[in-house]
Amino acid sequence: MAKLDGKKILACCANGAGSSLMMENAIKKVMTRNGIKPAELRHCPVSEGKTASRNYDVVFCARTFAKTFEGCEKNGPVLIPLKNVMSDKEIEAALKEAGLLD
Amino acid sequence: MATVLQTIVEKKHYRFIDGEGVSWQDAVRLSAESLVADGSVDEDYYKQIVACIEKYGPYVVFEHNVAMPHTQENATGAHKTGIGFMVSKKLISFGKDEDGEEKTANLFFTLSSTNPDEHMNNIMQLSAIFMNDALLDALAAAETPEDILEAEKNYPCEE
Repeated sequence: MAKLDGKKILACCANGAGSSLMMENAIKKVMTRNGIKPAELRHCPVSEGKTASRNYDVVFCARTFAKTFEGCEKNGPVLIPLKNVMSDKEIEAALKEAGLLD
Repeated sequence: MATVLQTIVEKKHYRFIDGEGVSWQDAVRLSAESLVADGSVDEDYYKQIVACIEKYGPYVVFEHNVAMPHTQENATGAHKTGIGFMVSKKLISFGKDEDGEEKTANLFFTLSSTNPDEHMNNIMQLSAIFMNDALLDALAAAETPEDILEAEKNYPCEE
């Protein structure tokens, strides 16, 4: 069983309408390619994500917003800031580096 | 179904500028004008986008000089889902990002969204376009709507 199976994943951007959707699509691609079935994958604005993050296992955001999430990791989720929000390659590499993907 | 680039041409949601001396704020305004022209957004809509970029920094500028200015879904002043496309001959600077790297753009895809399904479809297609460097180069050289269609024909996205 893949490490991310059954995990809850959140993608955040400023408005929850542009880059977080792109992230969600790219994450979906990585999940499909690796045969991972997360329990939940959704996107939302950073303002909502900051509070919601504690209910997730992995939180993705553009690097600009990494500061906003500072300290959220002690409540549970692994934070993965991305340089290119639509790059499935970067997402895959970041997940591997975080030890979440073999 | 029409691709986003075909829809841009069909709805005349495009604009070509020289860009010399144009600020990024004006560039955002100009890129939204084709959406204003057919009532997709109000004239003031662009101001929300500018405010958002001023607040969060140039996070809407991606690699390869592509900008996707936008606000949230169902923003005030947005009436139809659409993409205001603009090519600027000169690169327009959005200032520096959190790493001190200057962000510039010559391709603008300014979004308006009121319909989640249409918006999702636009975003998915734009993701594929933004990863297609050959297509982006051809679009950056476009001077007419025909050039946009020609670019897409020559460098189709895989998805």
